Amino acid sequence: MWSWSFTWSILPQILEAMKTTILATIVGFAFALVGGLVLALGRRAKNRAISLGTAGIVEFVRSTPLLVQLYFLFYGFPAIGISLSPFSAGVLGLGIHYSAYLSEVYRSGIDAVPRGQWEASKALNFSKGTMWRRIILPQAIRPVIPVLGNYLIVMFKETPVLSAITLVEMLLTAKMIGAESFRYLEAFTLVGILFLILSYGSSLLIRRLELKWSRS
Amino acid sequence: MEFVKDAPIVRYRKVSKSFGDRPILKEINLDIAPGEKIAVIGPSGSGKTTLARLLMTLEEPTSGTIEVDGNQLWHKTVQGKLVRADEKHLHSIRGKIGMVFQHFNLFPHMSILRNVTEAPIHVLGLDKEEAVERAVSMLKKVGLADKLDQYPAQLSGGQKQRVAIARALVMRPKVMLFDEVTSALDPELVGEVLTVIREIAEEGEMAMLLITHEMEFARDVADRIIFTDGGRIVEQGTPEQIFYRPQSPRLITFLSRFRAG
Ligand SMILES: Nc1ncnc2c1ncn2[C@@H]1O[C@H](COP(=O)(O)OP(=O)(O)OP(=O)(O)O)[C@@H](O)[C@H]1O
Ligand SMILES: [Mg+2]
Repeated sequence: MWSWSFTWSILPQILEAMKTTILATIVGFAFALVGGLVLALGRRAKNRAISLGTAGIVEFVRSTPLLVQLYFLFYGFPAIGISLSPFSAGVLGLGIHYSAYLSEVYRSGIDAVPRGQWEASKALNFSKGTMWRRIILPQAIRPVIPVLGNYLIVMFKETPVLSAITLVEMLLTAKMIGAESFRYLEAFTLVGILFLILSYGSSLLIRRLELKWSRS
Repeated sequence: MEFVKDAPIVRYRKVSKSFGDRPILKEINLDIAPGEKIAVIGPSGSGKTTLARLLMTLEEPTSGTIEVDGNQLWHKTVQGKLVRADEKHLHSIRGKIGMVFQHFNLFPHMSILRNVTEAPIHVLGLDKEEAVERAVSMLKKVGLADKLDQYPAQLSGGQKQRVAIARALVMRPKVMLFDEVTSALDPELVGEVLTVIREIAEEGEMAMLLITHEMEFARDVADRIIFTDGGRIVEQGTPEQIFYRPQSPRLITFLSRFRAG
């Protein structure tokens, strides 16, 4: 039976855990935004060792499950002397995993910039760095912003996997509440609803940003 | 010192370029004097664009050398030995060359003013005020001083091309390359762009390589006309010689096509 009073009583605890979920998503995604760009650029490097190496990393990360990567970071790393907190390992895992995906998104954006833009930059004698920062990347990133936003939501919905490395995020909190009180229904329902509200809310937000940007 | 004054600003020496095993340019020799206006004419596929792209360092020759102001493009001398040039070397030479493209290649995410100030600020290191001043005076020259805050997408083709010309000119190159800059334009917009180029040509000090299908324009503007065919310079001379006393059968055939229509 559903109990409202129980629902209200556990809400603060779950909202507290939601903070962890959101923070892990934001930090992980920020990592992935930067890491993805580094990988995308590394893949285009003239140096064959760098470009092949980067391609290898991307391929490797994309073909292994996030859960395995997380176990590796959290349970495997201490063996080589690096102990990470659940949060650090989780954020690092999410960041690395999604870097690989985002690098492909960046790549498609970069490939879509017309060749003439590169040639004009060269003809105007831009240095490589200036060309990338001011000419190529602004044009490459804008059209892929919706895709990046979509990955943000996908990543957010994947955060419960962090409970596997003992990060007390929403799912693990709900589980613990259930184990203590033998009431699982309310806790899991709340978690589901919160995920729904946040995912749907951010997708609306992203769509609005998209509209705004496509107009200007 | 007479020699120094007449030293060519650009020298192509036995320059060949192949794409795969397809030869596009074959042992081209060409000197461009400072301030000289050269029009390049020739059938499609004869290598005109490639000739210009090689000088802009957008392509590298398969063999032969190109010198700008006495410096080789892709090689430099270090302790008496010729070694492959680094980016810094290319950068220092590229500053002397400018190029205007057939398809404008304006930066679509920047206003007209920023299209023109971007390189002066970030390449030449001018402060913003000075760059804006230079850019505005250049945009005035091409008749677009009233479009500063617009974006490329809001302009006509002729206006875009004039912005592209201003963007290249503001860097004050010693040699400007114009690669069929009116071929992508609607016929009624060709005139305004050619007029701007004529005015620039009259100012004199900058050498120009004008690849064009506009024969009248070539005749009026150029000091020398080069006719390319099959990857070679088949004939060259003053506009008089090329248009009124052509020698080679291929040039005669080429010109007759224009006369006919
Ligand atoms: N990057 C490239 N890779 C392969 N082939 C190329 C490349 N660039 C040019 N070509 C080929 O070289 C030939 C000569 O090209 P180029 O553009 O220099 O001729 P053009 O005289 O400028 O012709 P047009 O009057 O049509 O512009 C063309 O057949 C073209 O297909
Ligand atoms: Mg061409």
